[in-house]
Amino acid sequence: MMSRGGGGEVPWVDNPRPDPAHPHLIFSPSQLDFWLAPRGTGDPVDVRVPFPSLQPLKAHLEANGIPYSIMIEDVQVSGGGGSGGRGSRHGGGRGLTLPRVPQALVDREQMQMLRRRRVLPLSTDAFDYSSYHNLDEIYAFMDLLVAENPNLVSKLEIGRTTENRPLYVLKFSKGGTNRPAIWIDTGIHSREWVTHASGVWFAKKIVQDQEKDEGLASILDQMDIFLEIVTNPDGFVFTHTTNRMWRKTRSKRSGSLCVGVDPNRNWDAGFGGSGSSSNPCSETYRGPYADSEPEVEAIVNFVKNHGNIKAFISIHSYSQLLLYPYGYTTTPVPDKEELHQLAKEAVAALSSLYGTTYKYGSIISTIYQASGGTIDWTYNQGIKYSFTFELRDTGRYGFLLPASQIVPTAQETWLALKVIMRHTREHLY
Amino acid sequence: MQGLGAALPVLLLLLLSAQLPRPAVAEQPPWAPGVERALDPSSRLAVGAARVALHNYNFHAASPSGLRALGQVRKATVKSIPGVGQKCYLQFTTEDYRSRENAGSCLATVLYPKKKSPPAVNIKCINTKDQKQIQEEDNRLYQKLKRQTKPITGSNIPDSFGNIEPALEPVWALAVAGSSYMMWEKSTEKVGYFMTQVKSVKQWMRKDDSLEFDYVILLHEMPTQEMISCHMRLIWLPGHPLKVKYTCDSENHRLEDGSGMESGSAAGIIREREENF
Repeated sequence: MMSRGGGGEVPWVDNPRPDPAHPHLIFSPSQLDFWLAPRGTGDPVDVRVPFPSLQPLKAHLEANGIPYSIMIEDVQVSGGGGSGGRGSRHGGGRGLTLPRVPQALVDREQMQMLRRRRVLPLSTDAFDYSSYHNLDEIYAFMDLLVAENPNLVSKLEIGRTTENRPLYVLKFSKGGTNRPAIWIDTGIHSREWVTHASGVWFAKKIVQDQEKDEGLASILDQMDIFLEIVTNPDGFVFTHTTNRMWRKTRSKRSGSLCVGVDPNRNWDAGFGGSGSSSNPCSETYRGPYADSEPEVEAIVNFVKNHGNIKAFISIHSYSQLLLYPYGYTTTPVPDKEELHQLAKEAVAALSSLYGTTYKYGSIISTIYQASGGTIDWTYNQGIKYSFTFELRDTGRYGFLLPASQIVPTAQETWLALKVIMRHTREHLY
Repeated sequence: MQGLGAALPVLLLLLLSAQLPRPAVAEQPPWAPGVERALDPSSRLAVGAARVALHNYNFHAASPSGLRALGQVRKATVKSIPGVGQKCYLQFTTEDYRSRENAGSCLATVLYPKKKSPPAVNIKCINTKDQKQIQEEDNRLYQKLKRQTKPITGSNIPDSFGNIEPALEPVWALAVAGSSYMMWEKSTEKVGYFMTQVKSVKQWMRKDDSLEFDYVILLHEMPTQEMISCHMRLIWLPGHPLKVKYTCDSENHRLEDGSGMESGSAAGIIREREENF
C-alpha cells in the first residue's frame, strides 16, 4: 500500500492484534522490544533491534521509503536496577541507562534502535504464517528470507506493474548456471488470498526443509525453483484498500470506464477464443491483445529468456482442483496420459494429509472452457509439466477462506507440489 | 418412448435446434431424446445440478441450523426431453453446512427448462441429524434474535479474512438460506452460483413474531467469475416457509466502482407493507 514516487505513506488498513494462540505475531513482545509502543497507524514507534536483524530491516525500510532515525547507536545497559534475565551488565559509564527497558529483554547483544512507522517481524521465524498479509508485509518477508539465506535465496525483479510496482520472483538455487527449473506462481488473481499466503509458506518451507527433506534436497541438487508470490500486486493492493473481490489487473484504457484485464485470459494461447470476454467490464476480459498486461509480459519474457523451465505451476483458488492443459480447446494434449497420471498421484498425496478431496483433469473438461490461459501457453512453449491448482474450498467460504485454513491448505498443497517436482526431476527432458 | 409416438417430438427438436444459437462451449454429441444416459458424477453438469437441488432444499427447509452443503455426487444420469429441457437424476451425499459432518444423502431430479425459468427440482434427503434437535437449535437461534431490542445490523460477513462474528452467525445462516432461493432461481445448466458474502444486513423490527432482514448479498457466478450484488428481503419464523424477495444487479454493464460494492439495486425494491409481503 505504499504509493511509489508519489510521496507520503498510506497508513496500514490492517492493524493486527496480539493473539495468544499465535505467539509469532509481529506484536509479540518477545520478538520486538517496544520502547514506544504502537498506538495506531501512522504513529511513530520506537523499537530496539537486535544487531543481526539490523541490516535486513534497514534495507527493507530504505527500499520502501519508510523514514527512520537512529536514536541510540549501541544500547548497553549499565549498572543497577532489577534482576536481569540473562543479561550481563556492562561496565558503568558506557551507554545509557534506560529506565523503561523491560528487564526480560536486557541481554548481551549489541543493539541499535530505530524509530519507524511500521511494525514488521524481524525474522521469518517471527512471521505469522497463519494470517493474511498485505503487499508491504509480503515484500518485507521476501527481503528477510533472502537476508537470512543468502546462499540459497535471491530476489529477482522481472518487471513492473501498470501502477509501477515491482514484480518480484524468489529464486531458490544451490548453484550451477541456468539449471532446469520449476516455476510456481501465486496471486495472479488478486482476490484469491489463500494463494499468496500459501506462497509465503512455501518459500519458508523450502528454506527450512532443503537440508532435512531428502526429496526437496535432491530436487534442489539438480534444479532451481522460482516462486512469484504476488503475481498481480496492483490487484492485490486494491483488494486491501478498496474491493476485496477484485480479480483482474488494474490497467486502464481509453475508451472504457472499466479497469483491468483478466491475467489468466491474456496469454497467447487460443487468445480471443471462446472462454474469455471482449468486454472490458467483464471479469474474464482478455485484454486488447495477448500479453498486453505487464504482469503477464514479465513472465513471458522471463520464461523465454530462461529457456530451461521444465515445470510450471500456477496457483488459484477456489474449487479444489488440479488441472492440466488445455482450457481453450477440447483437443487433448499429447502428454495427456502422463499428466493425468501425475495429477492423480499429486492429488492422492494432497488428500493424504487432511482428507481434502480434489478433482483433476484438463481445464476444459473439469472446470470450464477458458482461452488465453497461462498453462496453455506454457505447455505450448514446451513446458510439459504445466499445471494449475485451485485451492480450498469448494464454495462455503470461497475467496474468504478463514485464516485458520491457510497453513493446512499450504501443507497439503506442498505435498502435491513435491510429487510434481520430483516427477519432473526424474523425467527431465 | 419408441416408435411413431417419438417421431413428432423428434421433428420438433430438429426444428428447434435449427434456430438455436451455436453453443459457445465445446460441442456435445447429439443424444437421442428420451434416453437416459449416464453422467460422470464429477462432471460440471452433475455437480452443478446437485448444487441446484441443494439450493432448493435449503430454501424449502427454511432452517438456518439445518443447512446442507454438497458432499460428493455418487450417481448421475441425464435425459433430454424434447421441447422441454434436460433432466438430471442425481444421488449425492451432503454435509452439515457449518460443521461439515455427514448429514445424509439425497435423491433428486433437476429439470433445466429450455425456456428461461427456474430449474424444477424434486429432492428427498435422508437425515442423519436428529430433526427435533435441528428444530430446537432453530428455536434457540430465533429466541436469541428476538430478544434483541435494537435492530441488528452488520456488514462484510464473513470479513476479508473469513471471520464471522459469533453474534452474527445466525444472521449469516439466514442469509445462506435466503440466498439459496436466489441461486436456485438463477441457475442454469451452464451458470451456477455461490454465496460469497453478506455485504450488509439490517433488521426491520416487526410487530408480529416474524424476523425480517434486509440484505445486500454478493453472489459469485461461475463460469463468468462475476460478482453479482443482490438486494434481498427475508422474513423468517421457525416452522414456516421462508419468504424472500430480491433483485440482483444486471451483470456486464456495471461500471468500474472505485468505492467498493455499495448496493445500487435498492431502487429496484418496492417497499411493501408487512401484510402484503
